[in-house]
Amino acid sequence: MIRSMLAVMIALLISSPAAAAEDNTTQFPAPQTESGRLTIYSTTDLAAMKPLIEDFQKSSPDVAIDYIEYLTNELNALAAEACRKEEPLGDLLLSSSVDQLLKLANDGCAEAHTSPETARVAEWANWRDEVFGFTYEPAVFVYNTRLVPPAEVPRTHVELADLLRERLDYYRGRVGTYDIRLSGIGYLLAFNDARQTTTVFGRLLESMARASAVARCCTGEILEEVAKGNLYIGYNMLGSYAYQAALRHPELRVVVPRDYTLVLSRGALIPKGAARADLGARFLDYLLSERGQSIARTNAFYFSETGSLPPDVDGPQNLKESGIAQPIRIGPALLAVQDRAQRQRFIEDWAQSLIELNSPAWTRE
Amino acid sequence: MMRPEIIKHEPSLFARLARRISVVLGIGAALLVTAAWYYAETAANKAYDRLLVGAALQMAESLSVEDGTLTVRLPTSAFELLGLADRDRIFYRVIDTHGQTLTGYDDLQSPAPLDGTRDVSSVEEGVYKGEPVRIARATRVLADPAVSGEAYVIVAQTNEARSALTRELTLRATILVLVMSLLAFVGAMLAIRYALQPVERLGTAVRRRDPHDLTPVSVDVPRELDPFVGSINHFMGRLNERVDLLQRFIADAAHQIRTPLTALSAQIDLLGADKLDKAGRQHYERVRERTGELARLTNQLLSHAMVIHRADSVQLEPISLVDVARRAYRAAIPVTVDPDIVISFEAPDDRPFVLGDAVSLREAIVNVIDNALRHGADQRLEVRVRATEAEAFVEVEDDGPGIPPEGWEKATQRFATSKSHEGSSGLGFAIAQEVANAHGGTLSFRARDERGFTVVLTLPLLKGEPK
Repeated sequence: MIRSMLAVMIALLISSPAAAAEDNTTQFPAPQTESGRLTIYSTTDLAAMKPLIEDFQKSSPDVAIDYIEYLTNELNALAAEACRKEEPLGDLLLSSSVDQLLKLANDGCAEAHTSPETARVAEWANWRDEVFGFTYEPAVFVYNTRLVPPAEVPRTHVELADLLRERLDYYRGRVGTYDIRLSGIGYLLAFNDARQTTTVFGRLLESMARASAVARCCTGEILEEVAKGNLYIGYNMLGSYAYQAALRHPELRVVVPRDYTLVLSRGALIPKGAARADLGARFLDYLLSERGQSIARTNAFYFSETGSLPPDVDGPQNLKESGIAQPIRIGPALLAVQDRAQRQRFIEDWAQSLIELNSPAWTRE
Repeated sequence: MMRPEIIKHEPSLFARLARRISVVLGIGAALLVTAAWYYAETAANKAYDRLLVGAALQMAESLSVEDGTLTVRLPTSAFELLGLADRDRIFYRVIDTHGQTLTGYDDLQSPAPLDGTRDVSSVEEGVYKGEPVRIARATRVLADPAVSGEAYVIVAQTNEARSALTRELTLRATILVLVMSLLAFVGAMLAIRYALQPVERLGTAVRRRDPHDLTPVSVDVPRELDPFVGSINHFMGRLNERVDLLQRFIADAAHQIRTPLTALSAQIDLLGADKLDKAGRQHYERVRERTGELARLTNQLLSHAMVIHRADSVQLEPISLVDVARRAYRAAIPVTVDPDIVISFEAPDDRPFVLGDAVSLREAIVNVIDNALRHGADQRLEVRVRATEAEAFVEVEDDGPGIPPEGWEKATQRFATSKSHEGSSGLGFAIAQEVANAHGGTLSFRARDERGFTVVLTLPLLKGEPK
């Protein structure tokens, strides 16, 4: 895995001088004569997408790919602005904040696409043939085995809340989660947590506030801190990133909560009027295809709707069969999540609970 | 004066009815489909409008005053309700008591002016973001000391699910209408065919009629055809009267001619030939012959008229054909017959009976025998009566030259004989055939063989025993 990371780094180093005007852009030149250039705007870490892109180029060697990374909120703002100006942003948008993609589609910024591959997509992961979910990622807990004793490992949301209450001093400032002000995905998960059980979420939020939980923009940062031992527990981490981090840092462990597990499906959307909508559709079809899904399962996102959990993950044998999986349905209900008054109030409440209470000095930037 | 004209063919009754019925059915089907589409659209709109109104009411319900400000907690369930139309885009806007947008799409407008008088369940058409939408609006009256007045929730939804439902309902109705129309058309065609059958039947009956039969047509026809049949019968009646008149005239004329003719014959006989010289005797003989011919013709005319009259008026009764033939045979052979001719009469023992008029039959047989004597028989004349299972025959055979087959048809026509120069009247066979036909029989010829030429009168044998 370290070797592959190195390969990514090398690839980045090699490709960047030739291409990128922006440092968040990665270019994948066409292996054979280039006949088209596909521009993907994404919130997914390059490391996860790279195997997929490279495999895609094996079947479509004439396509060069520009892969541009943003944070979810940034990408959403860019795409909405582009749609308003009718200057489509890239040929394919990939975002873990499906609620933002859904809002874009609702505002008429998406191109519909149907194919035999899109027909395979589960009903809950397809809206209007415009927004497709192409991954299956549970929201998990991550802990550092060196710092959290086995007896204290939380396996449900309630256990986590109770743990923070009981061992307040030990875990003060040692629990990390998304800063939902910065992360769209964090907001989406928190909102759905609140919808699942108001009381448990309230208790958890209160416990985390008391324990001066640390809020960060991105999964990667929190995982890094947990791996280093600055943080002990990460809450609501995306399963794919968490598992990949656990592969790199043996002291990290992933827990799939046993009371309920939110499942997020990363969304894909072809912007309306995209210059190479055909290439966008081709890549989308690849992502949804048997082959793309299998590469995603082994190399990129690790979890799948049908298979069992990856090895060394603490959780039920099979997410779907256990009945605890709560997929976040890609549908109009996400518009309620995206409502700006809703969002503002929810984030205010959340910030008031979590941030404005005292947090350790080292967490403030 | 009738002139043959080029008749422009009117399309058949069937085609006319079929065309009009299909036009009516077509228009009916189009109207029904239009109505079905209209109802389907109304039904689809009603169904989905309820969701829309429900969602608007839920959203309005979620408005509350917290810390002196109006806040809204949009319920996810409202969106899930709208999401039942799973492909439709949703737009909404919440307006506070000051007319400011609280959340949602700032530029979403309600078609009706903002006031509280509007019925909440009424949903309007509109266009938003270039898409046709249905717009519902709910009003929330707030009476909080801090915030009072009316707040509004406007919810709009695109029409995809409605259109899909409308399409589906209309399609189903259309299929039904088409099937019904097809059934109606097929049914109508069968009914027309059935209704037109009497016309066909009447035509066939008139066509198959014997040309001499001028009695009223008695085919059973529907009431609607009565005038037509009435006209035919009226026309036939008039024709019959004229034919009767003509026949009576001929009979009267013949009768009137007969008296002076008899006197003339007597006068010629009195004249005597012995006083004349050779040339004079020749003329005398010719006058006598012609007078005889004239007398015979007159008799035949009378006989013909009588036969026709009797065919119409006399009741047929069972008679012995042998008796009739024998009587005819006796009447036909004159005492002055050439003694060189061998004449014979043959009859079977079982005396076949036929249903007939003895007088007419005798007249017919007399005419046939007379014809044979006059034009055929050289040395031999045989009259035979015989019978088979179903028919009885009277055969008159002679050893004369006979009539070649190509002349048979002509022989039975009136005044049409190839031998007029020999003094034939040409009415003999005509009378015989007339009689045969009136009895349901035929007059036919058998080609000449080594024995001779035969004329055969065939009659149906009487079924059962004679009384």
